[in-house]
Amino acid sequence: MTKSSRRLLGLLVFGALAVVWSYIAYRLWKTSVPTNLKLPKVDMSALVGASELQRARHFSLILDLFGLAGVFLPLVVLAFYAKWGHRFMRESAAGPIGTGMLLAMLGIAILWIAMLPSTLGELWWLRRYGIEKTGYAETVIGTWSALGAEFLGICLIILIVMGFARLLGDRWWLAGAPIFVGIALLVTFVQPYMAGLQPVEGHAALVQAEKRMGKQEGVGNIPLKEENVSEFTTAPNAEAMGLGPSRRIGLWSTILDGRFSEPQLEVVVAHELAHHKHNDLWKGVGWYALFAFPIAYLIARLTRRRGGMAVPLAVPLFLFAWVGLSTLTLPIDNAFSRRLEAEADWTALQTTRDPQAAKALFVNFVQTTNEDPNPPFWDPLLFGSHPTEEQRIGMVEAWQARSGG
Amino acid sequence: MDDLRRSRLTVFFRLLLTIPHLIWLELWGVLVFVVAIPNWLIALVIGRPAKPFQRFNAAFLRYSTTVFSYLLLVANPFPGFTGEPGSYPIELEVPLTPEKQNRLKTFFRLLLVYPALLVAGVLMYVAYAVTFLGWWAAMVTGRMPRGFRDLSANSIRYIEQGYAYLFLVTGSYPSASPYVGMVLGTPVVAETKTAVEVPPAAVEAPAAAEEPPAPEAPEAPSEK
Repeated sequence: MTKSSRRLLGLLVFGALAVVWSYIAYRLWKTSVPTNLKLPKVDMSALVGASELQRARHFSLILDLFGLAGVFLPLVVLAFYAKWGHRFMRESAAGPIGTGMLLAMLGIAILWIAMLPSTLGELWWLRRYGIEKTGYAETVIGTWSALGAEFLGICLIILIVMGFARLLGDRWWLAGAPIFVGIALLVTFVQPYMAGLQPVEGHAALVQAEKRMGKQEGVGNIPLKEENVSEFTTAPNAEAMGLGPSRRIGLWSTILDGRFSEPQLEVVVAHELAHHKHNDLWKGVGWYALFAFPIAYLIARLTRRRGGMAVPLAVPLFLFAWVGLSTLTLPIDNAFSRRLEAEADWTALQTTRDPQAAKALFVNFVQTTNEDPNPPFWDPLLFGSHPTEEQRIGMVEAWQARSGG
Repeated sequence: MDDLRRSRLTVFFRLLLTIPHLIWLELWGVLVFVVAIPNWLIALVIGRPAKPFQRFNAAFLRYSTTVFSYLLLVANPFPGFTGEPGSYPIELEVPLTPEKQNRLKTFFRLLLVYPALLVAGVLMYVAYAVTFLGWWAAMVTGRMPRGFRDLSANSIRYIEQGYAYLFLVTGSYPSASPYVGMVLGTPVVAETKTAVEVPPAAVEAPAAAEEPPAPEAPEAPSEK
């Protein structure tokens, strides 16, 4: 085979893969929310009050600054680490993979140290507004201990990447990416068993409503559980968890503490059931898989200049490339998440047919979380996994208009 | 020799950095317990342990020594995962080939080792307490005090020799004399891994060597 025909074949394969990738991305991107849905402008100050709105904007602005530090500081720290991190090789008596593990763990450790002021600053801000309850020392010790799990995770990743790199050279990503997807599937599956879920007590009507709505949405009997987080935070939340037999709905104890009415809680539960109805957790893993392959490929290309992932010298650059590429995909990941959340809101409205409760719920979210209901355009790009509260209320009004309510 | 310098960064995160090793050690340890009974039966029949089991158990004990040396700040470099001889500045001397062992002592090994393991349990607590103090010293000065290092090193040595006796790696009872059966060697780092200077004779010597290596001079030159 000549050089030009090899190039042509390569282009054809790349083109075919790009078509498959685009088709899968399109299928995952598509939702049941009507494409021609126009969200009306909502006067948030009339709903939550001008002073509360001002307070939410102030709170969110400063929180966003800490958030920006959380996104960009790791890039700066890991860029330095990519340049000088190899010096820590002298701290190792292990073989190449063991030394790679040490370099990866030290990279994360240095990141933890660099992020500590920002972490504590954010905690101070959240405590000031009564959102967080955790103490400063508790946070330092807690995040330090949590590094143990992160170290284990990164060691597993390095073992997979370097192990395959030593076997397959620069093609390690072909074997590594499917394993990462498998791990993502496993983590999604076991998450409900690790979350310390308890039975929901004192909300018998809500439990009955969940069973009824589960039948209505065609998802069967999904256990409704409570996660006790009141010791650490006042922020309300709920989440759909698990795959197949491990499917659960977890309501944070903070949403069951009396600040939300039963009809509002029914909207929350219907929203989480909708995630299961639309297989959003599977879609999340699928979306991850869609990016895992190209990101792993690009990392393999980038780390070639340090001798490839078979040698520990490339590990600091690997960390930087991984975090850098993940940051680049953050806006599209958040956009994807917002679409799934918007679809779950829409389905919850169809299920409960209670727009007043939905609207009251979203107003209540602004009041209890202090989050800006209409943040600046860049905020959702970097941090917006859900539509803004203004958009969610807008959707309720659009649904009402369509349903003649 | 170990210049007693310690990296503050790795000392601060030492416990967390050791977690992957502790998990690997645990998994390996389960297998060591699994092979212990067939190895014991073989030793009773032929008068010495089986050669593959000997290598397997000896590697485990060397590895365990390096992991605890790292965890307890006895040594500075991150250890490897294989327990390869000559791969770490602190090394337990264990016979690489099976020794002829008294069948009667082999039969009663579990009872005979009991007093040694009791002492080992106490020494473990001593080593933890010393490490706690040594951690602060290393964080402040960047060096591990020699006395602390030596006390922990000898505690680890005694404990590992106890397990070597239990798992029939050696027929010699753990030695109460300091430094007997342990090499405090040259610091080994990734870049100079081929230049390990642990004498092969010392590595292959039985656990309870006749002549202990001389303790290090206080003003040992830095090799880092």
